[in-house]
Amino acid sequence: MPNGSSNVRTSRPTAVRAARTVALLALVALIVLFPSLAPDPFILSVGVVILSYAVLATSWNLVGGFTGYISLGHAAYSGLGGYATALLILRTGMDPWLALIAGGLIVAVIAVPVGIASLRVRGASFVIASIALVLIVQLVFQSWHTFTGGSNGLRVPRPFGTEVLRPEQHERFFYLHAVLLALALLTWWLIERSRLGAGLKAIREDEDKAQALGVPTFAYKLTALVVSAFFTALGGGLYALWFGYLDPIFQFSILIGSYMVLMSLLGGVRSLFGPLLGAVVVGYAVEVFKSQYGDTQLHLVATGVLLGLVVLFMPDGVIPALTSALNRRRGAASIREVSAEELANQREETAR
Amino acid sequence: MTGTTGSPTGSVTTRDLTKSFGGVRAIDGASVAFHEGEINALIGPNGSGKTTFFNCVTGMIRPDSGTVTYQGRDVTGLPPHRIARSGIGRSFQLCRIFPRLTVLENMLVAVQPHGLLQRLRGSRNPADVGRARELLARVGIDHLEHAEARDISYGQQKLLELAGVLMGDPRTIMLDEPAGGVNPALVDRIADLVRELNAEGRTFIIVEHNMELVMGLSDHVVVFDRGRPIAQGAPAVVQDDPLVLEAYLGV
Ligand SMILES: Nc1ncnc2c1ncn2[C@@H]1O[C@H](COP(=O)(O)OP(=O)(O)OP(=O)(O)O)[C@@H](O)[C@H]1O
Ligand SMILES: [Mg+2]
Repeated sequence: MPNGSSNVRTSRPTAVRAARTVALLALVALIVLFPSLAPDPFILSVGVVILSYAVLATSWNLVGGFTGYISLGHAAYSGLGGYATALLILRTGMDPWLALIAGGLIVAVIAVPVGIASLRVRGASFVIASIALVLIVQLVFQSWHTFTGGSNGLRVPRPFGTEVLRPEQHERFFYLHAVLLALALLTWWLIERSRLGAGLKAIREDEDKAQALGVPTFAYKLTALVVSAFFTALGGGLYALWFGYLDPIFQFSILIGSYMVLMSLLGGVRSLFGPLLGAVVVGYAVEVFKSQYGDTQLHLVATGVLLGLVVLFMPDGVIPALTSALNRRRGAASIREVSAEELANQREETAR
Repeated sequence: MTGTTGSPTGSVTTRDLTKSFGGVRAIDGASVAFHEGEINALIGPNGSGKTTFFNCVTGMIRPDSGTVTYQGRDVTGLPPHRIARSGIGRSFQLCRIFPRLTVLENMLVAVQPHGLLQRLRGSRNPADVGRARELLARVGIDHLEHAEARDISYGQQKLLELAGVLMGDPRTIMLDEPAGGVNPALVDRIADLVRELNAEGRTFIIVEHNMELVMGLSDHVVVFDRGRPIAQGAPAVVQDDPLVLEAYLGV
């Protein structure tokens, strides 16, 4: 990048940027190599689950991280994405990949009226509205037997033929999830740099002030929610194609939504890779917990405790906490207090 | 100097504006006209409804009745961002900035793009950044552009808020107590800025308790008491108005 005066990022030391590039390449390499490094299919399937969590958390962060609207009911979008994909394949015989994308678009459209209704309220009221959403959808999908299969669940046809064996299935879905994750991250990154992103972050900091500066806050929030719902639905749809089975109780659970929140908060909602980091940590912990202690309610307690600890001690998440600790160690420039007289003098000098 | 009150294409003009909070009539049938191109002051005792008046004009709260017109257009009940885009910028009584954004990011929020493509454009493009830096230099805090806004001093935050408002290029600027809680040197600085900006053609409506500042700065003064104007005119005239003295002494 040129060192022009108009380039804002030049203030960042080149060493930091180099380190970031290396870290990014290492991450890509790790993901590309993971299937061949994984000792057995089980570990590979854990990898798929973790990437799926990463997709969901990153998608959640498109609305949660930018606007500060904490949705605990995002499982509504992932679950609807899963069901939309499955039902399109089953009822219309659509190609599974086309169904996945169509499912994402349908859920994005559904998110419009949901957003118009729920984004009018802030803070705790929005959280409660988001929980209500997922509970309502769960109820509908449980009781509407003829269409959704109800509580018996729904078998999702496999997109790859039976000649593709289990480990091979895992590997393909691992890479598919990785591609979806990359797209979600790219979208977050592009929005973050845009004027839309500047407005969204302002909404997170002080919504009324942002609006007073001319930011069309409602339209911006709605845009963020719809984009978030789209990616969350794709995440849910892709997972459904891999897992091959949908149950309303699990698809539309507050627990899944809470995981997305926990992962994002843990890693840091204001950083691109925060939710991914959180997904790796929490996803790994959850899977280990399940394989050690079985599917008890214990991991719920663990999740709750972890969420409490994060909110209390690292409200900004791990990545920002580490970054600021590093900055402190490097003795980053403290803010210079400048008196009004000094400012006046400075101005006079520049005026001359 | 003094324009005609209620001219059809005046700056902010209200007619019978009313706003109650429960039993409290914060604004009580206020009909006021501010002068385009001038520095207007809005003064009045604590609780006389000045901030509520600002909030009604800028769409932050919806008046119970009455109308607000701006440059002849009815803007009553429009949402705040529409009013901002029609050319009215405002600051807040308790300085409001975006605490965890950098000073420069604070400025870039106030860019007002039109159309989807413009909104998806990079926020840190040379044109926007250049203009932001110019304005930061103008208020004297350009050396702080990388600092998070919560880390700078209160006076600097006030300057940042003013610079942010200017970033939206408003024709009319409403300031709620710009000199509140800042040191005297900074008060002078803000006064100079207001004069300069006014000379460039921007209209000001300023709520302020610092009488020396009000009398030295403004062309036209409106005095509020209990939610409605009780006097208006040139500073020297208003200063000697018995109604004004009474309101301030609380008789
Ligand atoms: N959101 C609110 N809810 C209830 N009452 C309010 C609200 N905002 C203002 N009020 C009341 O309306 C009246 C006018 O308040 P306002 O803040 O507009 O006065 P002000 O002239 O700006 O005062 P100050 O000089 O102290 O800033 C006061 O009695 C105040 O208590
Ligand atoms: Mg006030």
